[in-house]
Amino acid sequence: MSKPNQRLSQIQSHLSATAPSSSPASALSPLTKSPDDIVVTTCLRTPFTKGGRGGLKDVPAADLLVHTLKSLLSRSGISPDLIEDLAVGSVLPPGGGATEFRAAALVAGLPESTAVKSLNRQCSSGLQACVDIAHAIKAGMIDVGVGAGVESMSSQYGPGAVTEFSELLDSHPEGKNCKVPMGMLSEQMARDRGIKRSDQDAFAAGSYQKAFRAQQEGKFDEEIVGLKGVKWVDPKTDEEKVIDVMRDDGIRDGMTVESLGKIKPAFAKDGSIHAGNASQISDGAAAVLMMKRSTAERLGQTIVGKFVASSVVGVKPLLMGIGPWKAIPVALEKAGVSKDEVDVYEINEAFASQCLWCIRELGLDEKKVNPDGGAIAFGHPLGCTGARQVSTLFSELGRTGKRFGVTSMCVGTGMGMAAVWVKE
Amino acid sequence: MLEYRTQGFNGYAVKYSPFFDSRVAVASAANFGLVGNGRLHILGLTAKGIVAEKWFDTQDSLFDLAWSETHENQVLVAAGDGSIKLFDIGLDEFPVQSWQEHNREVFAVHWNLVDKDKFCSSSWDGTIKVWSPDRPTSLVTLPTHACTYSAAFSPHDPSILSAVSSDSQLRIFDLRTPPSASNHITLTIPIHSPNPRLPPNAAAPNNQGAQVGPFAPAEALTHDWNKYRSTVVATAGVDRLIRTFDIRAPDQGPVAVMQGHEYAVRRVAWSPHLADTLLSASYDMTCRVWNDGFNDAKGAVIGAQGGPRSWAAWVAIPSSCVELIGACLGMRGGLPVSGGMRGCVFGM
Repeated sequence: MSKPNQRLSQIQSHLSATAPSSSPASALSPLTKSPDDIVVTTCLRTPFTKGGRGGLKDVPAADLLVHTLKSLLSRSGISPDLIEDLAVGSVLPPGGGATEFRAAALVAGLPESTAVKSLNRQCSSGLQACVDIAHAIKAGMIDVGVGAGVESMSSQYGPGAVTEFSELLDSHPEGKNCKVPMGMLSEQMARDRGIKRSDQDAFAAGSYQKAFRAQQEGKFDEEIVGLKGVKWVDPKTDEEKVIDVMRDDGIRDGMTVESLGKIKPAFAKDGSIHAGNASQISDGAAAVLMMKRSTAERLGQTIVGKFVASSVVGVKPLLMGIGPWKAIPVALEKAGVSKDEVDVYEINEAFASQCLWCIRELGLDEKKVNPDGGAIAFGHPLGCTGARQVSTLFSELGRTGKRFGVTSMCVGTGMGMAAVWVKE
Repeated sequence: MLEYRTQGFNGYAVKYSPFFDSRVAVASAANFGLVGNGRLHILGLTAKGIVAEKWFDTQDSLFDLAWSETHENQVLVAAGDGSIKLFDIGLDEFPVQSWQEHNREVFAVHWNLVDKDKFCSSSWDGTIKVWSPDRPTSLVTLPTHACTYSAAFSPHDPSILSAVSSDSQLRIFDLRTPPSASNHITLTIPIHSPNPRLPPNAAAPNNQGAQVGPFAPAEALTHDWNKYRSTVVATAGVDRLIRTFDIRAPDQGPVAVMQGHEYAVRRVAWSPHLADTLLSASYDMTCRVWNDGFNDAKGAVIGAQGGPRSWAAWVAIPSSCVELIGACLGMRGGLPVSGGMRGCVFGM
């Protein structure tokens, strides 16, 4: 054997030996488990109920948050003293909800030492809250934190949520576009991009059917913590009742392309978007407990999955629906994961039109997107959705034994957000 | 992060000068050390980044280097042709001294930090040799009968040296012992030995991935003496595990086992500043910083109960630019450097 060959075989022997562990993960893959990974140890949500009619319509947002945080504390078994910060995404409350969320944290049993902030990046607020907490842990600012989202659209949805635009803002064309209602601009986008009503209805019917099946099979039971003894005023009789709210009430059986095809367009006479192929107005809350892997191991917390990377991008305000199309590749690139490696995509169904366009434009396998339905079927409590997707994603990945997940949504005024997660 | 490309040469070893904290030497080889020339780079860490101060070319690959502890301009290199060369960076081109005794690739050279007129070398020919820079031939030859990737003098005792080899053994030699058939060997510790204080395959505390054995023997590629705890040696190699041993208790197996690297570990180095911290570089293209739990009260308690001490890789430094094989490191002044097979030196 020549000398180079001898050296080559010697060095090959360094590399070919078997690993002491069974992990075949390559270096720096998101599957690598490092002590400084940011992991999720518990994530859950309330049921989502119909705005103005559903079981949670009379529960204020802060009360929903109290229930969610209490459930998070009891399910995780973590000492509340260890939680250093709570970020709550919420879109509609006046003042961002900062005051009542701090109070809610104290009521839920978090100590005064737990800091609280509210934040608003429109429909991605819940994801932004989780990302903010992950980054604060990564940067060493805190060790343990909770990212949450809550919205009571029943009580806070309406024109009051947006401040009147000044002349200065109105004088700028793109500035002015930021206040164009979401339905109007999506209608225009659907027309411009040629997304047919029949396709939208088929997508929406699919969402309903998947969600109905998932609910029947109890797939949401793991992530939902129901509320008992909720005061509820019957809108028909004005009678106050005490009810238990244990499941999403927007999910309906028997939705088909044909039945959806009969609904009148909501935003234009000849339009394609209607109540049946757009997200439902809902109430709900969700929360995600995060920390470093080393902390989770020290505390004996069960690791549900890992936060890998996130992205936020801007698009034209009138094309806000294309946000996920721009945000998802950025997040995947940061994570070093290809779009085909991803097992489940949770892409918010703000409108069937925009969600479908993003899926097609990205060339995603439709079977991988929202396998248990989405906002069209069970609702989109604005600030909550991003945090809700985390628990939906992890429970689906867990059931199917898959690993890579992406959550993403379009964001009003023209943005997109996405995050990459790994189930463990 | 500072970066310097050793164009056309792949790094095998990098060391800070013991005299100037801004000077680094890199031993490198063309074609990943398989065939071709070697080059010794002398680099300066400046406000403008890493700059080449000088380089020396050699006939064969260079696999290791050691700065002279007595002369600030002199560097020792280990070459693939079995030679050891001493370069003076005040001079050009040629080495000031060359020793040719090893029959195969020399993979380690190490200067004695206490008795500064001695250094040692180890080779794939299965021997360790002790040398004086003033003498043309070696002072002692210590056979290991196995390809010996790493040899080093204790930083605490001038007459104790250690080596790890492809036979999965950590050997400790004491040059004060009388010449005999044992060739000064005072201790042989099987690196793959289990920790007998725990039952086989017992789960490590907190499921941190540490293992207690039993392990299969695997080639050991690198080791280093702790700079503060005079009896503690860290070893690592092909089985991807980093272990620490206390030579006072050679039968007790590893004190700590650190798992995380995904390919063979090519180099470990204890921090010159912290007694419980070590750096590693691996073929998995990462450098990692480890804490062996020595100063961790919790870790100490676990140790007293008989388990391996707790540990954590603080940071997996993603040497995302290193395309092939992370190779080596030195550490000084809190700024670790790594040299990679891809031909990069990083100051991190």
